Amino acid sequence: MKTRTVRRISQVFFFCLFLFFVFVTDLRYLKGYPVSLFLELDPLVSFATAITTHTVYMGLLWSLLLIIPTLLFGRIFCNWICPYGILHHFIGWLMGKRRAEERERIESNRYKKLYSLKYVILIAMIVAALCHSLQIGWLDPICLFHRSMSVAILPMLNLFFPSSVYVHQYFHVGAWVVGFMLLFLVGMNVVIPRFFCRVLCPLGAFLGTLSTAALWRIDRDPHKCVDCDLCLKSCEGASDPQTQLRKSECFVCFNCIEDCPEDAISFKFMPQLQREITAPVVPGRRAFLGALLGLTFYAFGRASGATARNYNKKVIRPPGSVAEPEFLERCIKCDQCIRTCPTNVLQPALMESGLEGIWTPILNMKVGYCEVNCTLCGQVCPTGAIQRITIEEKTGLGPFVAEGPIRLGTAFFDHGRCLPWSMETPCVVCEEVCPVSPKAIYSREVTIIKRDGNPITLRRPYVDPALCIGCGICEHECPVTDEAAIRVTAVGETRSRDRRLLMDGGVTSAPRALESKQR
Amino acid sequence: MAAPAATQSRTGNRKTFRRAKVSLLERGISLFLVVWLAVIGGAIWLKGKHYNPDRFALNPAALKSTAATVEGKTGTVRAADVAPGETGAAAKIQTAGQSEATGEPAEGAATAPAPAAKGAPLEIKLDGLKPMGDTEFYNADNLFEKIDGRAPAYLNFNFQQLRCRSFSVTGTSGSFVDVYEYRFDTPVNAFGMFALERDPKGESLAFAPDGYVSGMGFFFRQGPRYVQVLASDQNAKTLELAKAIAADRAKNLPADDTGLDARRRLPTDGMDPASVQFVQENAQGQVFLKNVFQAKYDFAGKKLPFFLMVATPAEAAAAWKSYQDFSGQFGGKVTALPDVGGAKIFKAQNFGTWKVIYQREGELGGVVDADDETPARAFVEKYLAGQMK
Amino acid sequence: MKSDPDAIKAGVSGDAAPGGISRREFFIRAGATGALLAGAAAGGYALWQPKHFIPGFVPEKGLQLPSFAIAPDKLLPSLAIAHGTEHEATVRAAIGALGGMSRFIRRGDVVMIKPNVAFDTPPALAATTHPETLRAVAKLVLEAGAARVYIADNPINSPTGCFLKSGLRQVADDLKVDLLYPDANGFAPLQLDGEVLRNWTFFHEPFKKATKVIGVAPCKDHNLCHASMTMKNWYGLLGGRRSQFHQYIHSIVSDFALMMKPTLVVLDGMNVLMKNGPTGGRLSDVKQMNTVVAGTDMVAVDSYGYTRLMERDLAELTYVHKAEARGLGSTHWQDMIYKEVQA
Repeated sequence: MKTRTVRRISQVFFFCLFLFFVFVTDLRYLKGYPVSLFLELDPLVSFATAITTHTVYMGLLWSLLLIIPTLLFGRIFCNWICPYGILHHFIGWLMGKRRAEERERIESNRYKKLYSLKYVILIAMIVAALCHSLQIGWLDPICLFHRSMSVAILPMLNLFFPSSVYVHQYFHVGAWVVGFMLLFLVGMNVVIPRFFCRVLCPLGAFLGTLSTAALWRIDRDPHKCVDCDLCLKSCEGASDPQTQLRKSECFVCFNCIEDCPEDAISFKFMPQLQREITAPVVPGRRAFLGALLGLTFYAFGRASGATARNYNKKVIRPPGSVAEPEFLERCIKCDQCIRTCPTNVLQPALMESGLEGIWTPILNMKVGYCEVNCTLCGQVCPTGAIQRITIEEKTGLGPFVAEGPIRLGTAFFDHGRCLPWSMETPCVVCEEVCPVSPKAIYSREVTIIKRDGNPITLRRPYVDPALCIGCGICEHECPVTDEAAIRVTAVGETRSRDRRLLMDGGVTSAPRALESKQR
Repeated sequence: MAAPAATQSRTGNRKTFRRAKVSLLERGISLFLVVWLAVIGGAIWLKGKHYNPDRFALNPAALKSTAATVEGKTGTVRAADVAPGETGAAAKIQTAGQSEATGEPAEGAATAPAPAAKGAPLEIKLDGLKPMGDTEFYNADNLFEKIDGRAPAYLNFNFQQLRCRSFSVTGTSGSFVDVYEYRFDTPVNAFGMFALERDPKGESLAFAPDGYVSGMGFFFRQGPRYVQVLASDQNAKTLELAKAIAADRAKNLPADDTGLDARRRLPTDGMDPASVQFVQENAQGQVFLKNVFQAKYDFAGKKLPFFLMVATPAEAAAAWKSYQDFSGQFGGKVTALPDVGGAKIFKAQNFGTWKVIYQREGELGGVVDADDETPARAFVEKYLAGQMK
Repeated sequence: MKSDPDAIKAGVSGDAAPGGISRREFFIRAGATGALLAGAAAGGYALWQPKHFIPGFVPEKGLQLPSFAIAPDKLLPSLAIAHGTEHEATVRAAIGALGGMSRFIRRGDVVMIKPNVAFDTPPALAATTHPETLRAVAKLVLEAGAARVYIADNPINSPTGCFLKSGLRQVADDLKVDLLYPDANGFAPLQLDGEVLRNWTFFHEPFKKATKVIGVAPCKDHNLCHASMTMKNWYGLLGGRRSQFHQYIHSIVSDFALMMKPTLVVLDGMNVLMKNGPTGGRLSDVKQMNTVVAGTDMVAVDSYGYTRLMERDLAELTYVHKAEARGLGSTHWQDMIYKEVQA
């Protein structure tokens, strides 16, 4: 069997595996499947989060499984495993130049200076990471592909084939941006083959840098070579095998070996390096500008104050999330949490948490609510932006009774909109659906004289801030659907000491002890 | 796939090169890699089968843990600076969603009442009366819901159950009579409660020795029950019906005077009936004076408080001795008096007032707090001689 | 970009061995790759966090403050009351009655003086420590031989404004002592076994080197806890979301008596903010009481202040009773050895 054949089998396998994971990230099918495996294998994710958090979170250690082959063979990931790369490869083959336009195909696969842009992007992202701001999620291929699938593609599928993906149709804020971004990047394969992989991919840049030290490399025997350039015909990486191979660009696709009529190209163990351009070529000035961009992205973004006192009340993070500055160090915007959430409450943020928080998950109670006995988002989060908490930890049961539940925020009444408070109409759906016991919403009976002169006995609801966990089902079920009469805002969340409302719970649990003594 | 001949390619009609030489090493490695892919697929499939169900659903065993911290908690208990009584009030908030009490309710927590034990409905068959609503039953747990602040006193006397019902007076607009039957554990306790609420200006009732009418209400004690019949207004017809109801109740409710011997023994001559009282324990601050009946008497132009208690002869004798010893303390003057009617007597002066105490078999009693010793002694001796009714 | 024939030919003719590399090169390259591999594996494993944590519920360890109190003296008074019309003279009289500042401060001590600078109001409104009182205390400390004096507080209003408008910045400049502003680096978590306060961010910077601590507080009305005197003064050392304290204010103020064991507290009763505190705002809220109280027991000093200077019923002041019940001081100042002098 030829190596290229195995490569094709591998591509089919991993692409199908990726689609399988994406589809199965649903409470009905999830079981024990490691649906975030691609993200955990992604070396850029573990490397960048190691820089920002000084830890390698749980499953991210798996990325060693990819770093090791890269250090041995080069960028095999890009053509054998990466589902995004496989997608581009496939679209490029489908929509690209026809087989007969051989010369044009050869020209399109020559190395261009533009391809050094991905290194500049990588430098910008690494510098931002050094400043404790994680921005690799914008362009990391696995993050991007997961995000596009969760936010745009799967809902699109469900729109055309109802109930194929979800029970109820899912909607995501800003889905059009994500969708068109994917369309653009995939469509650019018509202009430049493997446009994303060659020009933009920071993971490719990272692996390319690592592959400088690879032991097995594509080697062209100059004695056999007749300079026909046919090796370029299907060269995926644009690594110039016809002259001095650029190892950092080579995708190890083996197409050049297949295409060379003189059998001059081989995959060799430690070949001569003089026939190569070993390291990536990045112009110094561009590199500096990249670094500057990374630095200022963090600095200007953070100085805009969205994570400090002027925090947006609507930045309600999923249960188990770390405090906001740390969240922005960990979230890779892969939107796996958004995919798995059973109520569609998780939405990609736009500017609510500032520039750094774009596409990170926040709760929107108009669309859904946080189901109490559910921690799916934390189960699939690969970086620990949402910690892998158990249901017992979330609800404050079992051994965590003393700690109390995790609170996402607090609900507040808008009396002018509330039916029993201002509209002489009985309701208290909010109290009915409040899931904690004792309920965080309680009501007091009051008898008023209505406008028509008749008395009516109503129950008027109140919130007990010590019990409210901010799940938002009250807001979700409130009949005033355009802007609910009870709304959850971020204050009172337990993940952040600064944003606590009451002096109880969490570390300062002394008042709880005091209360239990009084009881 | 365009036909090679159709285009002017620089490579001419050359067929696409296909590599044919595939070394054994290459074949071997390729096969090895395909096997690896299968292994990966299998591993993922296996991983999918093994998962912890607690990831997806709450383990019910965790619910048992909430006992101490959560159970019984009805609401926020706020600052430590608030007095405990007030925190109880703060927590007493009725929630619509809350059903039966779960386990031990916290102090002051408002929970749904445990349903009172039912009994036979209150039926009164009299002309001109029609039941208005159902019979209500209340027990010690929820008595306060019916009578509010009066409840604690009732509970002190071991209140058992209240059976009450309202009856409308036919032919009137809005007149009705409320009937309350409070059952206690003993006739003595019923009497104690009755006596406590007694209106000094009430007039006695013919059909109930322990009873009186006052304003719009008829009150009496019968057996272990304290009955109140309250008319809604002063209409002649309403009052007449109320009285009839009271008489009917007195006739139909079981009589029982157990433990009220001491009450019976109190002489009636000169007694102010409204002053009869029953003290369960620590009467006059003395631990040995229990189940004491006392009343005030007009005697020889003076108001004399007289008490008596009935117990076993041994207890009575011991109590008499203790009382004598006590009176001798704090500079009191104790003098033994000659026996009258088989009873031992002593008199004592403490802090300016006189007491004359006797003990005859199981009965201990006497006059206390008298300004003058002569009438006090005369009263006691007259009583002991059997000359007082 | 055709291939570069010269480079290729150069490569070809430069072969040490046709088709192979030198052994040296082999070892270097293999070594480098191997080192990178090992480094990645080791680094990854070293940083590995195999267990998750629950954000917001991670127990924190904080620092604990030592006691700054001096050994109790059976003969010398522990409370001194001085009456006078002039700030400096009255302060000197009060401290003198306790035995002089040298009873408390040794040569070489690093002394932290904690005034109450919570608001950016002028001294005449009596909402902050009076500059003349602070000046007197600081002078006495310097005369006693202190090596270094720090003045610090974490105000409610902006720190720069507060220190300037209260006149305390001028005092620091005149006496050439260090004024420490509460910047973000100066805070560290404090641990306490308090009734309500367990772990809270604390302005630690001035305490890093301090050997003695003196609290200099004004005597003022407080809308929530009735009065702010020497016990409440320590509130100014805490950071973070202090506004949550108001949910348990009396317990927390009594926790301050546990948190801080100062060398000495001075209650400035020269001008007392009798109502509309703690901010005040009108001269008519202020009453001249011409008294300075100094002592080692802040509960006793506050008890005196509330009854004699603010002329109120001590039963209202829940936090002193809580502190007394917890054994952190005594409200019965009359039963202690005290001295009352005229300046």
